[in-house]
Amino acid sequence: MTSTLSHSEPFFVAKDVPSALMRQTLLDRELLRPVDRPVIPLLPWLNVVVIGGRSIMDKGSEAIVPVVAELHEALLEHRLLILTGPGIRGRHVLGVGLDLGLPTGVLAALASAEAEQNGHLIAALLAEQGVSYLPHAATAHQLAVHLMASRAAVSNGYPPYGLYEFPPEVGKIPPHRTDTGAFLLADAYGAARIIYVKDVDGVFTSDPATTSTSPPELISRASAAELLARNLDTLPIDPLVLELMAHAKHQKQIQIINGLTPGAITKALQGEHVGTIIYAD
Amino acid sequence: MTDVASRASLESLLMNRSLSDVELMRASGGAPDYAILPEVSVLKIGGQSLIDRGRAAVYPVVEELAAVKRSHQILIGTGAGTRARHVYALAAELGLPTGVLTDVGAAVADQNAQMLGYLMARHGVPVVGGSAFGALPLYLAGCGAVIFSGMPPYDMWQRVPTEGVIPPYRTDAGCYLVAEVYGCRNMIFVKDEDGLYTANPKTDPRATLIPEITVEELIARDLPDLIIERPVLELMRRARYVRSVQVINGLRPGLIRRALAGEHVGTIISAA
Repeated sequence: MTSTLSHSEPFFVAKDVPSALMRQTLLDRELLRPVDRPVIPLLPWLNVVVIGGRSIMDKGSEAIVPVVAELHEALLEHRLLILTGPGIRGRHVLGVGLDLGLPTGVLAALASAEAEQNGHLIAALLAEQGVSYLPHAATAHQLAVHLMASRAAVSNGYPPYGLYEFPPEVGKIPPHRTDTGAFLLADAYGAARIIYVKDVDGVFTSDPATTSTSPPELISRASAAELLARNLDTLPIDPLVLELMAHAKHQKQIQIINGLTPGAITKALQGEHVGTIIYAD
Repeated sequence: MTDVASRASLESLLMNRSLSDVELMRASGGAPDYAILPEVSVLKIGGQSLIDRGRAAVYPVVEELAAVKRSHQILIGTGAGTRARHVYALAAELGLPTGVLTDVGAAVADQNAQMLGYLMARHGVPVVGGSAFGALPLYLAGCGAVIFSGMPPYDMWQRVPTEGVIPPYRTDAGCYLVAEVYGCRNMIFVKDEDGLYTANPKTDPRATLIPEITVEELIARDLPDLIIERPVLELMRRARYVRSVQVINGLRPGLIRRALAGEHVGTIISAA
């Protein structure tokens, strides 16, 4: 058998590189502590702005043009990473994919493509100002140079989980979507702030669009745990973000604002309290 | 509800509700499950446990993989190993975030996939990644096996652990999720122990083998150390296709073939 590999010296000795974690399973909690250090923020001047798919993009030029105009003004003063959601086309492709029996990982990859397309639209509108769309790989590895060359960049709000998306607790909808992807990225970069631009003023006690009896009240400030405990059916942000805030290294607060209100993005970027601020406990 | 009615209801929920809406999430669970590659098995070849041992451990595994691919279609994922541990320790000491560790750790699993790829090249086995996954069926039909790098592509978007910065979803999770998304028949973790023990058998002489256990029991026992990444257990609870996995000893000849044939030769972990 000429093709057979020879293994005449059966020494089962591992070739190790000495390190604090050498030979560890990386699953023993006690042994992992020695390498636990505070995490440094990589881009502490970064502002992450998330443009909702359903809330802004799907409303068309009426909503998008003023938001882009405001971003145009803002990028003169702030360095921005603008992330977009997929909106209605994402819902449509989820519907087709679910009907075909496709698994969650495939659905995640399909919906992510729609978030990317919305990113291309925003980037095209800001191209004249030097803004480009960055695919996931560039956002993860070349964001620093892009934001030194330009004041802003646009990318996909969906995280690059694709086929590797987790099966969800209930049903088959991909659990890591735009709000969560943007939050994880902002935390990894140690960004100054993350602002979610939606079509409501923030978190309400009940749905401002449908409630007829008791008038809904805006919750201007709340803890993530408190909001999760209230189990509101009107949360304008994915509850997974609120869960992840508990263990975030840097992103201890998020802000939800109304992109349909002129000036809200500008104020939020200046650190003003517009909309709802949610903080980790 | 009839099929037509439930479909109409799912579509209307999709258009009108938040994607986190409980009713919508439940309705999405009623959609059919189409297994993409139901005849295929995923094998994960350990980094520290096998590849870092060099040819003494790897050559026999390569021969066995080359033999079994004649009768089974296999996706071979690779672990990272000792260099990942070194770079994790270094990056953590520098205060770098989990996302950066994920990225540098992925490169180690990539190297292991490349090395395994060169050893299996004469058997016609390609190494694929990323968008080339679309060609998996072609490679599997042509030669019965494909090698891929086990790290999931989470990069700067990796979930952060409760404590510290070590990426929680590494190559065990990556390989497992490949098996799940393709609706595969088997997920077999090939390591250097006979299966799961009550403690780490390399450091604790009192450790005893657990031949079979459910995910629920394993989570409840909260063992101090584990042969498989903990988050895989949570993923298994939610899985629709791969509800059980087997951990086997790749240093013992013949076990890969027997595990692929459905024999119980290591530890079987199953979601109830």
